[in-house]
Amino acid sequence: MLILSVVVFYFARWAPGDPLQSFYGDAVESMSSEELAAARSRLGLDAPIHVQYVRWLQGALHGEFGLSLKYKMPAMRVVSPLVGNTLLLGTTAYLLVFLLATFLAVACALHEDTWLDRLICKIGTAVYYLPPFWLGVVLVLVFSIQLKWLPSSGAYDVGKAGDVFNRLRHMILPLTVMILSHLWYYGYMIRNKLLDELRQDYVLLAKEKGLTKRQIVWKHCLRNVAPAIVNIMAISIPHVLSGTYIAESVFNYPGIGALSVASAKYHDYNLLMILVLITGALVILSSILAQTVSEIIDPRIKETGVSAWQR
Amino acid sequence: MAEVKDPRFQVVGINWKARPQTAAKPVPKRRLAGKPVFAFVLLLAIVLGCLFAGQLANHDPSGYYLQNLNEAPDSSFYFGTDSLGRDIYSMIWYGGRVSLSIGLMSMVIITALGITYGCISGLANTGVDAVMMRIMEMANSIPTLLLLLLLMSVIGKANAVTLAAAIGVTGWFALARLVRSEVRQIRNSEYVLAARCMGVGFGRIMTRHLIPNFVSSILFVIIASISSSISMESTLSFLGLGLPVDVISWGSMLSLANRALLLNTWWVIIIPGVFLLVTLNAITSIGNAFRKGNTKKPSNL
Repeated sequence: MLILSVVVFYFARWAPGDPLQSFYGDAVESMSSEELAAARSRLGLDAPIHVQYVRWLQGALHGEFGLSLKYKMPAMRVVSPLVGNTLLLGTTAYLLVFLLATFLAVACALHEDTWLDRLICKIGTAVYYLPPFWLGVVLVLVFSIQLKWLPSSGAYDVGKAGDVFNRLRHMILPLTVMILSHLWYYGYMIRNKLLDELRQDYVLLAKEKGLTKRQIVWKHCLRNVAPAIVNIMAISIPHVLSGTYIAESVFNYPGIGALSVASAKYHDYNLLMILVLITGALVILSSILAQTVSEIIDPRIKETGVSAWQR
Repeated sequence: MAEVKDPRFQVVGINWKARPQTAAKPVPKRRLAGKPVFAFVLLLAIVLGCLFAGQLANHDPSGYYLQNLNEAPDSSFYFGTDSLGRDIYSMIWYGGRVSLSIGLMSMVIITALGITYGCISGLANTGVDAVMMRIMEMANSIPTLLLLLLLMSVIGKANAVTLAAAIGVTGWFALARLVRSEVRQIRNSEYVLAARCMGVGFGRIMTRHLIPNFVSSILFVIIASISSSISMESTLSFLGLGLPVDVISWGSMLSLANRALLLNTWWVIIIPGVFLLVTLNAITSIGNAFRKGNTKKPSNL
């Protein structure tokens, strides 16, 4: 994460976009060169890059991440109320994606090479290649503007922040976009894993015992596939996080994804820095979590040590 | 000599040659079975349309027809006009040129970087390989879109080439990983060993021995990277970080979608989106046809 922060910092300061522009707005153009220099030194932008970085790092270790140049508030204060929103959206989408993907995969595996399997595969692939932002816009067009069923933006109506039902209504469309744009990618992976599993010998034994197809898949195969699913889930975290960026931007959902896009647009580097760090932390934490879960599910991983995990 | 009447017999002499059995010509239908003909035809139509944009377009794609703002599709503006008064029908073909060429450029960059990195990592000794893989894992753990946001904010005002470069530079990790695992499988074969013993350089081993042997198994990833790059371009342009509105591409046409929502002009949103969608799906299904058919055992279920 330290390396990440150095890279981002240097990158950000090379950028041609002038941070002063977003801090003072159009006033920059009417300032004289002395005023400009004074403004620069006030914001600490005149020091060499490595001095700026050390200064930033010292602040960061004390919990000070600098001012957001656009919002003119400490960056931390801009970000903190939004993290929860994104986590809520991201986690719900993430869990639903894998729940639905597993169901679809089982449905496909039970009916391998029948019309059902082929239909799900075809539709799934087509939907997966829909650009998610376009899907979002079309959903707004249909459900919010034509049918007026669902709200098109925000996380809650004004003054209804605590209303659970209101929040849920706002989450339906972003969730749909995120789920549809990731579902089949993982569904297909799980389906193929399941199909491999169905060719193992123990399936024959289970069949001889008189178990039904359904029982075999749910009780035997799915358990054996579970570690692989958890593995896929761990790798997929950054991928799903990318999805929140698009979904949040399309629906103006107040979260860190939409904020990252905005801060990249306005060259608001202090804000962008903290967002990158938060994202990095989320990814690292969740992969540790995934590793723990897969050790619980499949004790073999623990015995063979790290090597099996990093295979 | 008596004439042979029975048609089952024939006279053979010293110069007789067995007439080769005229092999039944494969029926075209059968030869094309399992190949994405439909997708190919669609893609060909779109590519040709973009190449001959000058002949197809009936308006200036960058002209602002200010008296025809937000006009619904009619006989003059086949696909309507957008909120700036531009003719969407003409823009589709000119925009397709930009979108498709961004896809191709990014594909070239992704392929070059991915194959080179993968080959180096695959041929290197364990230590170097481990370090290179760790770097990849780190890069892979950051969402691609975030990396792109960073890059685009650094680049500032983008044009088609810088955008394609940014997409290419952030998109090669998956390919490199695949190439590495392929190289690992063939690095110990005799011909690679022999080439090394004879002192052949890395570049020559890569181009003459490695690439021809794994190209078939990575081809579908390379083709898929065209469609993912086109999709990335449109996403970035939509978010306002890609091409500006006056550079026409399918993505920048869609960046007017938010305004179109307020005006309820569906054609601004749907039409470029459908073109994008058809192109992406066509490229993908062509790519999937290059996937090696797996030999499946019958299921035990």
